Amino acid sequence: MSIRARRGRTVRWAVPAAAIAVIAGAIGAGPVIAAVQGDPALPERTAEQLLASAAQAGRAGLKPMSGTVMQTASLGLPGLPEVPGMGGSSPVALLSGSHELKVWYGGADKVRFALPGRMSETDLITNGDQVWLWQSDENRATRVKAGSGERGEEAARAHEALPTATTPQQLAQQLLRRVGADTVVSVSNTEKVADRAAYQLAFAPKDPSSLVKEVKLALDGETLVPLRVQVYARSAAEPAFEVGFTSVTFSPPAAENFTFTPPTGAKVEETSLAELLKERRPERGEGFEDAEKLKSEVGTVGEGWTTVAVIPVSEQELTGQGQGEGSSGAGIGAIGDALLKSAKPISGTWGSGKVIQTKLVSALLTDDGRLLVGAVTPEKLSEAAGRK
Amino acid sequence: MSTVSGKEAVSTEKATRAVPDHDPARGRDQAMTAGQAAGGRPIPPPRAVSAPRAWLRLLGSEVGLTFRRPRNLAMLGVLTVIPVLIGIALRMFAGTGGDGTGAPMIFERITGNGLFLTFAALSLLVQLMLPVCVAVVAGDSIAGEAGIGTLRYLLAAPAGRTRLLAVKYACVVVFCLAAVTAVALSALLVGLLLFPAGPITLLSGGTIPFLDGVLRIGVVVLYVTAGMAALGAVALALSTLTEVSVGAIASTVVIVIAAQVLRAVPQLSVLQPYLLTEWWSGFDGVLRDPVAIGDMGQGLLVFAAYAAVFCSIAWARFTGKDITA
Repeated sequence: MSIRARRGRTVRWAVPAAAIAVIAGAIGAGPVIAAVQGDPALPERTAEQLLASAAQAGRAGLKPMSGTVMQTASLGLPGLPEVPGMGGSSPVALLSGSHELKVWYGGADKVRFALPGRMSETDLITNGDQVWLWQSDENRATRVKAGSGERGEEAARAHEALPTATTPQQLAQQLLRRVGADTVVSVSNTEKVADRAAYQLAFAPKDPSSLVKEVKLALDGETLVPLRVQVYARSAAEPAFEVGFTSVTFSPPAAENFTFTPPTGAKVEETSLAELLKERRPERGEGFEDAEKLKSEVGTVGEGWTTVAVIPVSEQELTGQGQGEGSSGAGIGAIGDALLKSAKPISGTWGSGKVIQTKLVSALLTDDGRLLVGAVTPEKLSEAAGRK
Repeated sequence: MSTVSGKEAVSTEKATRAVPDHDPARGRDQAMTAGQAAGGRPIPPPRAVSAPRAWLRLLGSEVGLTFRRPRNLAMLGVLTVIPVLIGIALRMFAGTGGDGTGAPMIFERITGNGLFLTFAALSLLVQLMLPVCVAVVAGDSIAGEAGIGTLRYLLAAPAGRTRLLAVKYACVVVFCLAAVTAVALSALLVGLLLFPAGPITLLSGGTIPFLDGVLRIGVVVLYVTAGMAALGAVALALSTLTEVSVGAIASTVVIVIAAQVLRAVPQLSVLQPYLLTEWWSGFDGVLRDPVAIGDMGQGLLVFAAYAAVFCSIAWARFTGKDITA
């Protein structure tokens, strides 16, 4: 074989190598290119100015918009069991992986959320006093009746019926409440979220026993609408939890999005919001059927970032024994089992118990029937258990 | 197998004449010199036909051969029969179909609207049946010719290896389109015969007219064809690596199954967006309102990336390969 032929062959193989390099580059370098290109020329603002204008913009009401929200969670939970009857869009599935939510906002009384699944979709459509929940899986349309008098508030809470319908706006409000003296706040004006120039506020707790390293909030440079919230754990460089727009347009969405007529052949039901929330609550993993009763029994230790919640509970309740029938109760039970299995024993002056640590949250179940939960290290939990 | 078209029959003699002093590395050069050496014979000079027409003629003969092979026709036949079976089964056992857990809800929709049979059949067959059929045709395209010794004669025609490869791939794409269309048409016909037809309820709960629904089926057919064509590129690349077509076919099928297994492991969810199989059934975007173009566009990008990488691998290998058989 001549040298020329060999060289020709080498040159030929450079073509697929180049193709792979270009594609790998397109996958990997997208964010890098955006970062290099972007020095979005946003005027510099301090955190206070930014928060004030954001609050003002929030009071003035949200502009009509539509977009796609992506939620990514890598909370470092131990492997959760597959729960039958809980598909890809179920609340349990949302604890890990990425999930997409589409949002159309045409005004305070015109909102549509869509949670797409494989060959299925769950929609929540609010149009004036009409609220519909459509589940294509079950071919079921549920009309949600609003209680008289409290309609405004009910409509605002309607999103809770859809498990992932947490928009950056709601999270931002919660976040702003937590900012206090124990937090370091910094601002950058060179962020890019969903192809829009954005400000980014970073809140870092000062207390080293907090598992949270940093919470970042990105605000749209023009409208100051919160576009993304990221929660970073101390143990990882990637955000442990992230919810934000991957695409957003600030123009009124088409009116068809807010009209809903139950298709022929679909089951049509009517329910009130209170019932719907009750039905959904246990599935949200927030606790048990008697969640309301429990709420009054919950105590807290510490404040700010290192608040620890103390809940009186027993192991039986957690593993779902004595729970009501139905897939949601059994699902919670199975998850409780899986979590307890991965728990490590711990003991202190207060007695002994089991501790579970994830990236963001630690939980301590003491043998005397208390559950301590907080975004803190297990040591801090143990200390809190001792304080009683 | 008879892969000899009219043009190749002419070049066969030239090629056999050139064989004795065979230096396999220069197969292509030999073919050229052979063509010149045979200048005295009354064959039409190669320049007489313009390049695109020659290309089309070669493609036509390849497509003709592909669709005349009994094996390929049998595969198309099986693909056509499956939607019929699904339709009949659903018709006979309508309403008794289990408790609804596990089985995709889309199958229950079919009894309400025949058009859904098309979507259901495609989403079912795209997992394994269609990929296997495409793997057979694409995996056989180069290796099959090499295996029975006809590749040399094909290359003896003054077509060039690049053009031959392009024609082979185009032929694979045509077969993909034919296979997907066969499934869609058969499902459409059976669906309309056995079940009521009418406006379609989308996943988002909206309703679109029947004709609009048929149009969206057309979009799905093109999307699935693109996905299969990407797999065809993988099979074509494997086909250039071997002279045993079964090897190329089997390894393509193994790749598909391996990708499906990786998809099923939740801990490997990071890999999912890069797997070809992940995007094949991503056509449910057309059943949403508004049509979810974003997801399908991303799927098409993935298909294009796979096709580009594996076509270029096939090209690099095939144009630099020693043709010994």
